[in-house]
Amino acid sequence: MAHLAHYKEAHPTVFRVTHWINLIAMIVLIFTGFYIHFPFFAGFMGIARGAHIFFGFIILINCILRIILAFMVDTAQSGGTRKVDKDYKNWLPQKQNRHQGLQWIKYYLFMKKDHPLSGKYGVPQKLAYLAVPVLLLFMGYTGLALWAPTADMAFFAWGTALVGGIMNQRIIHYFMMWVFIAFTMIHVYLANIEGFAPSKIMFFGTEHGGLTYDPDDGVVTGIDEMGHEKK
Amino acid sequence: MTTHEVTAPALTNMLEARGVTRRQFLKFCGVVAASIGLTEAAIPDIARALEIGATSGKLAPVIWLEQSSCTGCTESLAQVGSPDVATVVLELLSLNYSETLSAGAGHSVEQAKEDTINAGGYILLIEGAVMEGWDGNALRIAEEKGTDIVAHAAQNAVAVVATGSCAVDGGFCAAKPNPAGAVGVQAFLKSRGINTPVVNLPACPVNPEWIISVVVDYLLLGKLPDLDKYGRPVLIFGQTIHDNCPRRGHFENGEFVYRFGSEEEAKGYCLYPVGCKGPQTYSNCPIVRWNDGASWCVEYGAPCAGCSCANPLKAGGNWVDVNAPFQKRHRVVKIGSWITQPSTIGAIVGGFMVVALTAHGFGMKLAGRVPSGAEFEKARAWDVKHPDKALFPKTLKKDGDE
Repeated sequence: MAHLAHYKEAHPTVFRVTHWINLIAMIVLIFTGFYIHFPFFAGFMGIARGAHIFFGFIILINCILRIILAFMVDTAQSGGTRKVDKDYKNWLPQKQNRHQGLQWIKYYLFMKKDHPLSGKYGVPQKLAYLAVPVLLLFMGYTGLALWAPTADMAFFAWGTALVGGIMNQRIIHYFMMWVFIAFTMIHVYLANIEGFAPSKIMFFGTEHGGLTYDPDDGVVTGIDEMGHEKK
Repeated sequence: MTTHEVTAPALTNMLEARGVTRRQFLKFCGVVAASIGLTEAAIPDIARALEIGATSGKLAPVIWLEQSSCTGCTESLAQVGSPDVATVVLELLSLNYSETLSAGAGHSVEQAKEDTINAGGYILLIEGAVMEGWDGNALRIAEEKGTDIVAHAAQNAVAVVATGSCAVDGGFCAAKPNPAGAVGVQAFLKSRGINTPVVNLPACPVNPEWIISVVVDYLLLGKLPDLDKYGRPVLIFGQTIHDNCPRRGHFENGEFVYRFGSEEEAKGYCLYPVGCKGPQTYSNCPIVRWNDGASWCVEYGAPCAGCSCANPLKAGGNWVDVNAPFQKRHRVVKIGSWITQPSTIGAIVGGFMVVALTAHGFGMKLAGRVPSGAEFEKARAWDVKHPDKALFPKTLKKDGDE
């Protein structure tokens, strides 16, 4: 057993809901986005555009809400503990993350055998999760710069002129989608390659036993099996 | 509207002599009114403004300079089966100099141009890009550099109308690699420090109705029309082609042409998948149309190539560099000498991710990390290296105890 226990405190219900919304919105946005880029079958453009714009707003609002909630909701300081802190503190780099960046890269590249210790997330993971809201807001900006009702607003028209016109804005929006696709592929892969417990807690709140961890001492303290057989 | 409000026998006779009926003339004035944002009520005023030349003899002097161009804009104006209203009206203006249309030639016509410039108060229409290459020697007319001709003529003009994409931002003349250094008139005048106001009328070629609109707007109101950030009249270039496209319904219904010569094409479906640039091209082509209102590109069945997009002050902002290839959804992306479509790059990124993650997955299996992960490190590598400054000394102590 080399997993930290998965406790509900890691992902309280409200954040599981925002994650569900992100998942659904992302799938709809990417599918309709591909369709709007090139309508690969007939009869769907009106729906595709409507859904794309609707879920675009949904994911933007969800993103902003998620950031606000990070200052209001407590989450576990790391896996394997029920000790909580305001979520933004666990989202930003923690003391446990210091000097661990290189260790994580080495672990991912099989240059390090044992699993690095961390805070709530590993260092590359934290960088990615901190980049996502920034990228989402940027994506929203480029999207609204392309959407006719908002494209002419000075705030958006300025950005379109800056990048050299609508064609360039379109291509940026398109490439950004691939950034999200690449992120999602890595995200899904890493979340599930060492077992499905992280997905179960994130989607359904199902707790899973494992090692316990003391975030203050930064040390693995024992095992909380929670009825799961030790391997 | 009543036709008796506009009674100018001289003009009527002149038009009729050219085979243009009164009705056609007023219809044309209506198009002009729509282009400059006036209602039908303004049609008599427009007709009167156009008639000034015929009745009073006070012709608004115009110089038409041709620089690096294919003469397509002159063609657009002049090449019609029967005398076109626009052509006749332009003749009502005092077109004192035009390389293609002037009857005179040689020194006499150059002198006429010089006299007009010295008198001032004229509108300068420029067709074609300014060629800055070889110190302006890329284009020479009458033993003068093209750059000097443009600068000299623009200095005294009340306004410069950059006619057609080449004059606006270099157009296809400025498309890469642009060996002759073609630039738009506005950028050129800016570099020479000449502050004459410039109205940009892009498109390849220009629509003659737009020229008349700007000139009439100036004659009627004594000022130039409102311009957008690219120096284009807002009322002509304020909405996309897509906004007013007769095929727009097919777009919304998801009815598309995927291949030329197909059943869908015969049905007149939307040309979006074959590269129509209508959604990003600002112009009133679908309303004013071309060739005396006969039709226009998309109505003929060709996807819009985006020729009226313009970026006068940005090198590489010309419509060819921005929109080619014309039958693809996106422009090309250049990485070094590799020229490709954004979707190809996207597919490569996606494909790489699939391969990389699959390979990594096998690595994880081989390393014994599936499904339980590797054992945790006892202490952080940095703490072990720097025991005196360790962030979590307890991990080290535990290690030492064992």
